[in-house]
Amino acid sequence: MKRKLALLLAVVMASTMWFSTAAHASGRVQMTPVGTPRAQTLIVEFQEPTDTPGQFNSYMQGTSMGTGIHQLMSAMMWEMDTISGEQFGEVAAGMPRSNEDFTEHYIDIREGIKWSDGTPLTAKDVAFTMNMIRDTPHLHLSAYYQLIFESIEQVDEYTVKVVTTESFPRLSMRFGVTIWGNDLRIVPEHIYSQVEDITLFKDEFPVVAGPYTVHSYDPLGNWVLYQLREDWEASTLGVVTGQKPAAQYVWMRYIGDDNTRQMALINNEVDILCEVTPEMLEVMVRRNPNIAAWYDEFPYATSDDPCSKGIAFQMAKAPYDNPDFRWGVALAMNFDEVSMAIFEGAGRASVIPILTATSAMQELYMRPTLPWLEAFELDLGDGTTVKPWDNGYANRMAETLRAQGRNLPTDQEELYDMFGFGCWKYDPEAATKLFIKAGLELRDGNWFFNNEPFVINLTQLADTEVQAGRGVDAAADQLTKFGFNVTNSKESSSTWWNNNDTGNWEMAGYWPTGFITKDIYSQINGFDNTLIVPLGERGSGQQSRWDNDRATEIIKEMATLSPEDPLSYELGLEFLRVAIEDMAFLGFHSGVKFVPTNSTYWTNFPSAANPYNGPWWWWSCFKYIVAEIVPVE
Amino acid sequence: MKFRTYFVLRVFTCILTIWIGVTFIFFIPRMFPSDPVENMLGQIISRAGSMDPRELELMRSSLRVQFGMEGSLIEQYFSYLRRGLLRFDFGPSLMNFPEPAGNIIARNLPYTLFLALTATVFAWIIGNLIGLFAGFRKNKMSSRIMESIAICIYPIPYFIIALVLQIIFAFILGWFPLQSTIFHHGTFWDFFASLLKASVLPGISLMLIGTGWWIISMKSLSSTTAAEDFVLFARFRGLRESEIGWKYVFRNSILTQVTALALSLGGVFSGAIMTEIIFGYPGVGTLIQRAILQSDYNMILGTITISIVAISVSTLIIDLILPFVDPRIRYS
Amino acid sequence: MAAGISIKKFWKNANFRLKAGLFGTAFFLFLGYVVYYFPHDNPILFYTHTPRLLPNSVNWLGTTTLGQDIFWLLIESIHNSLTIGLIVATIGTVVGVFVGLLAGFTGGTVDRVLSVVTDTFIVIPSLPILILMASLMRGSATTIMMALVLSMFAWAWPSRQIRSMALSMKERDFIHTAWFSGEGTVQVIATEILPYALTWSLSNFMNATLVAIAAESGLAVLGLSPANLVSLGNMIQWARDRNAIFAEQWFWIGSPIVATVLLFIFLFLLITGYNDYLSMKRGR
Repeated sequence: MKRKLALLLAVVMASTMWFSTAAHASGRVQMTPVGTPRAQTLIVEFQEPTDTPGQFNSYMQGTSMGTGIHQLMSAMMWEMDTISGEQFGEVAAGMPRSNEDFTEHYIDIREGIKWSDGTPLTAKDVAFTMNMIRDTPHLHLSAYYQLIFESIEQVDEYTVKVVTTESFPRLSMRFGVTIWGNDLRIVPEHIYSQVEDITLFKDEFPVVAGPYTVHSYDPLGNWVLYQLREDWEASTLGVVTGQKPAAQYVWMRYIGDDNTRQMALINNEVDILCEVTPEMLEVMVRRNPNIAAWYDEFPYATSDDPCSKGIAFQMAKAPYDNPDFRWGVALAMNFDEVSMAIFEGAGRASVIPILTATSAMQELYMRPTLPWLEAFELDLGDGTTVKPWDNGYANRMAETLRAQGRNLPTDQEELYDMFGFGCWKYDPEAATKLFIKAGLELRDGNWFFNNEPFVINLTQLADTEVQAGRGVDAAADQLTKFGFNVTNSKESSSTWWNNNDTGNWEMAGYWPTGFITKDIYSQINGFDNTLIVPLGERGSGQQSRWDNDRATEIIKEMATLSPEDPLSYELGLEFLRVAIEDMAFLGFHSGVKFVPTNSTYWTNFPSAANPYNGPWWWWSCFKYIVAEIVPVE
Repeated sequence: MKFRTYFVLRVFTCILTIWIGVTFIFFIPRMFPSDPVENMLGQIISRAGSMDPRELELMRSSLRVQFGMEGSLIEQYFSYLRRGLLRFDFGPSLMNFPEPAGNIIARNLPYTLFLALTATVFAWIIGNLIGLFAGFRKNKMSSRIMESIAICIYPIPYFIIALVLQIIFAFILGWFPLQSTIFHHGTFWDFFASLLKASVLPGISLMLIGTGWWIISMKSLSSTTAAEDFVLFARFRGLRESEIGWKYVFRNSILTQVTALALSLGGVFSGAIMTEIIFGYPGVGTLIQRAILQSDYNMILGTITISIVAISVSTLIIDLILPFVDPRIRYS
Repeated sequence: MAAGISIKKFWKNANFRLKAGLFGTAFFLFLGYVVYYFPHDNPILFYTHTPRLLPNSVNWLGTTTLGQDIFWLLIESIHNSLTIGLIVATIGTVVGVFVGLLAGFTGGTVDRVLSVVTDTFIVIPSLPILILMASLMRGSATTIMMALVLSMFAWAWPSRQIRSMALSMKERDFIHTAWFSGEGTVQVIATEILPYALTWSLSNFMNATLVAIAAESGLAVLGLSPANLVSLGNMIQWARDRNAIFAEQWFWIGSPIVATVLLFIFLFLLITGYNDYLSMKRGR
């Protein structure tokens, strides 16, 4: 027995030694596990492994764009400058030229872009792609294209003419990138026209217009290795910017759970991670001085993700249909504590319904609304009123955090940028009055509604959106402290999205907001009250079932206006005031993203000090970031 | 009862079990307020930021047709029984449309089987040996120590054990990769070496956690058997202890454990989830998890049907063989 | 008087394992069902204490990142998880043993029907169903509810094991003797089989307790345990979620794990000790 044990031990030790020497050897010559020189390889994380490895056709439904396809290879009609919030042409040369009533549009195509097989990209490819989508009934976009487009035709080599069936002033916003990406990705006509059924064409060795092509991929779906095109000058990136990316290879890989991700970044096995939590970031920054995020120190995160998180109300159910109740909820919460509980106080307050307080939106919509907000009053139902706006949040938060030993700027404007212009007051007394005004009763410290004990059911999406989930936890905490009986449950994503439509929820961490452009029409058109369907049925838009006539009028009016029309902007401002009066959504913060980078091998990542772009590795604008990233000497 | 009658009856109950099981798994997810189409739409919208309400409506109806959710539930059910159960054709995976669910499962299943079966069987052998000694020779120091270690490790949550292994051997020592990278581009030897390297830590962690229960249950079985009259009798007859251990105690206790092993194979899939998440090891565990969270009906059916059939058939085989091994059991 | 004597006698005959197990389990029951009722703040609420404290005279195990008192969080976790575990183990073991014995001894149609039902519950993987159930429990997510859902799958395995045990025992001589001497099935089961199955059932009970606690943790790790249920699983998950492992907040992440392990070890000692005690008493 003992001899056997000794033998076993020997075998184990021998094998571990073999493994360790093997690992060591590869470390010495600085190669990545996929056999490329580490110094030439930028390693970027993607968030989920793909179940369809080797599938690069973006018109097959199951293709996961986030594995690098749309970041490095896809050709977009219009791309987004995420800092200024303005679009620019990528495949298109400039914005579409439309007629008076926005039914005929001419799109100029950039000259000089070539597909990776050397064929020039022309108007033919653009017209083909759009017609292909329209005429392939199996594509889920097809029906919408048929509804919108009368005709799409190539006028000459570099011009496409589009006729829409109705006035369509926002062509570039619908068919170009506004946030994450867009579903119109131009494909090479000379390849896709030869394919019998494009919904079954995997496109394993894609011919692309972006700067990178597929070098190899993991047949199990955990990574894809991209290589810079030799003729990168002729790629979309090359033609638009003329910049040569320094990274010969981009290795996009899946890194597993949060623990593994931390260890991998600390060990320099990856250069860029997607979103992490502040708790993770602080550990990583402490362990490896090369790791940083948008800011070098607290609050680390950028607050410019255009998707604010907070609490949505199901306004077809009582008492959630009552604005007094919703305002009660807003005033019953101590926002300072909510902020601490979500991301340790980091993040820009974005408490206005529907609006997301990105830097651009702060200036465009928040600042002009401030005087109105200061004066805004709520009737508490007992003859008294309260002004709910609290402009002291930024300074108060800065003070609290300084007391914790954090280093924060003292400049007022900088603090406004970091923490926002303000929040709703914490005023439990006023909240109590509002709840009573809304028909609730307080008996011996317990709340009743319609003579029954009142319970608030909160729901959140399980295990994906950290900020939204923590927001719901914080809301549950605050409402429990206020004196409500609260439940807080998590739902799987298919239950969650299904309930969203059928209205099977009361208060939940949905995020109905999210835009980055000055024109807010595409963001708010879902709040048209003619779209409201009864509870239990699935509508299109209006999941919160917010029934407001003035809001609907504004939407109808904006639909026919050009995004550049000053009246459109005025209407947008009014829409926000209407939403505030009704408390249509209780916002907490704008999208706060902790996105760490490791500058051991590569540097010049976008940051607060060098904000040439936002840190959006998972968006299609990533190709413009790659071009800026340079190797460390 | 004749063997033939027993055989027919047993096969019949096996088929019955499989049928009830898959029927259950077909209807249950569809009765819950969850829906793959809404899930997909929700994800599309949250990425796009906004969507024209008409577009949403058109997309919804087109997806419903594509996902085969238009026909009546009964029609869908019978078509599933015909294709899925008889030909293992489960239709397209909804979250990876139109890739057939069967293809994705077939690609991942070998890795799960390789890792989890090896770990389970090793854990079973080691656990039963230790358990046998612990039960049969209660007073030996070595068996006591082994048992104590196992008892202390067994209740630790799996992901903690896995994480500790990962921190020590991958993060600090760097002997193994943090994330498994398996090569398919080089020679077979490259592939096999990378597979082995990727499997060591997951395998050890699964074995550590799996051994505990076998030790505990085998110990309780063998200590009961060791106290039986026929063992005492054998001692009186002057048989050597090791002979008693093997011939009497082991053979009498192992039967229960063989059945238990067959049944525990079902746990292979759920046990695989955490391994795959932590070590990035390929397999069907996360596939099942994601399928359930996103209501990918065809993928749920595919993975679980395979699991149900595998366990039912392995218990059937064991039930048919057992009477040959243990003549005391009659066909009944 | 008589009771006092027998307890003394029991204690004298009890082995070390039994004593240690009794003490330990009693300690946990004390924590979960006595200390739990001492007046304290609701430990799930945020910022009731200064965040990130190390153990001190007020917060015996320190505080979490969210300013929760770890000690009281742990006590409530033990209370809830123990309740879940004990309910599941009791239902699972009692139903399992009953169904198993019934099937094994009556045979025929009853056996076949019961076996098919049991087998179905065994071959259906429990985790998917649990995940589905978890999403149904919205709003009514109580400890009892959770326990009942987990119980659904806890009885099938012991039932099958007991049945095969019963089948093999049925053919043994002493059972035949009992049968021929005119004892009824129920009597045979009660006097001859049950003591025999008891050893196995007890270890199964202990294991089922742990499996139930682990299953709840599993749901928690997948993020599907009700967000306001204070349980050992959720406590670990909350600590994990706030990166307590790498931030080296050992008391937060460690206390629920140590509690789980200790609870199991004490149960184990109690049950193996009791088995030894029984076999010693039987004079074997």
